[in-house]
Amino acid sequence: MNEKELITIEHIEPIMPEDTDYNFYFGPAHSGSGNFGVKLRLEGEMVKSARADPGYLHRGFEKLMEYRVPMQNAVLSDRICVFEALNWNLVHAEAVDELTGVEVPQRARYIRVLMAELSRLQSHLIWYGVMSLGLGFDTGFKVAFGYRDYILDLFELITGGRVYPAGYICPGGVRRDLPDGSENKIRRVLDQIEEMTHKMQDFDNIAFSKRMKGVGILKTEDAIRLGATGPVLRACGVKTDVRKDDPYEIYNELDFDIPVREEGDAYARYLIMGSEMEESIKIIKQVLERIPKGKVREPAKITPPSRVKLPEGEVYVRNEIARGEGCAYMRSVGGKEPYRVKIRGPDFLHMIPVLEHLLKGVQIADIPAIYWSLNICPADMDR
Amino acid sequence: MLRKENKVIEDVSAKFKIAGNVQRERRVWVTIDKDNLVALCSFLKGLGFEHLSAISVTDWPQEGTFELTYHLWSYSEKILLTVKTKLDRANPCVDSVISVWRENAQIHERELHELFGVKFEGNGDLTPLFLEGWDGPPPFRKDFNWREYARQQHYDKSNERERAYYD
Repeated sequence: MNEKELITIEHIEPIMPEDTDYNFYFGPAHSGSGNFGVKLRLEGEMVKSARADPGYLHRGFEKLMEYRVPMQNAVLSDRICVFEALNWNLVHAEAVDELTGVEVPQRARYIRVLMAELSRLQSHLIWYGVMSLGLGFDTGFKVAFGYRDYILDLFELITGGRVYPAGYICPGGVRRDLPDGSENKIRRVLDQIEEMTHKMQDFDNIAFSKRMKGVGILKTEDAIRLGATGPVLRACGVKTDVRKDDPYEIYNELDFDIPVREEGDAYARYLIMGSEMEESIKIIKQVLERIPKGKVREPAKITPPSRVKLPEGEVYVRNEIARGEGCAYMRSVGGKEPYRVKIRGPDFLHMIPVLEHLLKGVQIADIPAIYWSLNICPADMDR
Repeated sequence: MLRKENKVIEDVSAKFKIAGNVQRERRVWVTIDKDNLVALCSFLKGLGFEHLSAISVTDWPQEGTFELTYHLWSYSEKILLTVKTKLDRANPCVDSVISVWRENAQIHERELHELFGVKFEGNGDLTPLFLEGWDGPPPFRKDFNWREYARQQHYDKSNERERAYYD
């Protein structure tokens, strides 16, 4: 391979006296951006180059999991991403289930999907909230976070924790059954979230769309090359969804659509978010109608973790989490703990290659619209 | 059943004389030596494996090897194929796959270089990603004693409250 083929991203250069270029730091102070920074090189108001500066939330989960048994790791997996703890619970639990080969009870599968979709809804509400905040539309932020709280109340009722469910979705099923009367409560909350999706359409005024239309356009071939997944990829015209293409749990029995847009700009990503929320509501309604009775965990009797061994083997699990493709590679050599865990978060790609690519050549004023339209979460990037 | 999975393995073994196995529906694993890795990867990309989902390293200190796994997804065939290859642990060098998956591979390789010390030849930017001012060995290797490292860096033996960490 010759020199020309190497991909090198230029480092931020020192400022020269005769230069009109200057360095600009977006983050890492947490102003809704998350604990993450982008170093920009500007010429006037235009971004010449951008370099992501991750690492402020690096906690080394992959290494920590090598020293803990699956039940402890289930709790640990909450923290991979603050905004969608239950989705990461599910990724971890599925990896362990596939290794042990345990048959997860049908009721547990329904509850898992129910919780994953509720988690997606509240994550999208956060997305809407921070996006509004970034565009200077504070009302949207407050309204979205207000509605998100209804879902957090449900999480508190079902799992005991509002944000972190403490490994509610655990290997073998879920920790406990839905409490009495929770199904009616979920239906009531769904009505409220539906109300919120109508509000989102009402809020969609000129001030909102003008900031995002035609901004941060990601072409289809660039999106695939840069490793974009989930809503970001679907906004570029690729009809793909892990829930349909690589179905897990009970998703192949459910009826839902994959929203796709062709434009690839920030506004398309925003519209995808709204449509995905409607699809999630549809899924939850089906789950509530069909949920069977039965036990919620296999084995129902808890064995002391010190006696449980993970069978030898390796698996790669893919899930569609709110931000894109969330994966885990788990390798076991027959010990109590997994030998190696690799966690693949969607934002590792969205926040480094995709963001650096999109920011090149844009105006400063467009940075927030691009940044927040990618539905970023530094926690699952740094892990 | 498993027709398209077996088809992929047939295509690969016809060209590279290697065996593979189908783990289950949509999951295929193949192993190759490191010299043919890039050739196999570009062949697979031609078959439709456009999306590099992740690259991972597993450390085997007793064997003296690093095992690299490349997890590839095909949007058209809907198959996840994992390519495995082994490196010598004493000299962990492998050809980079950025000629195949460009920036996506670049960032995964940059992460693994930092955490495992694997050198990807041909990748022009392997600067540290997460750790700032790190001077120890690559921290995700199995022989890195993180408990001892944390004790030395963060706890003081002469401090009565922290002495417990030394017992």
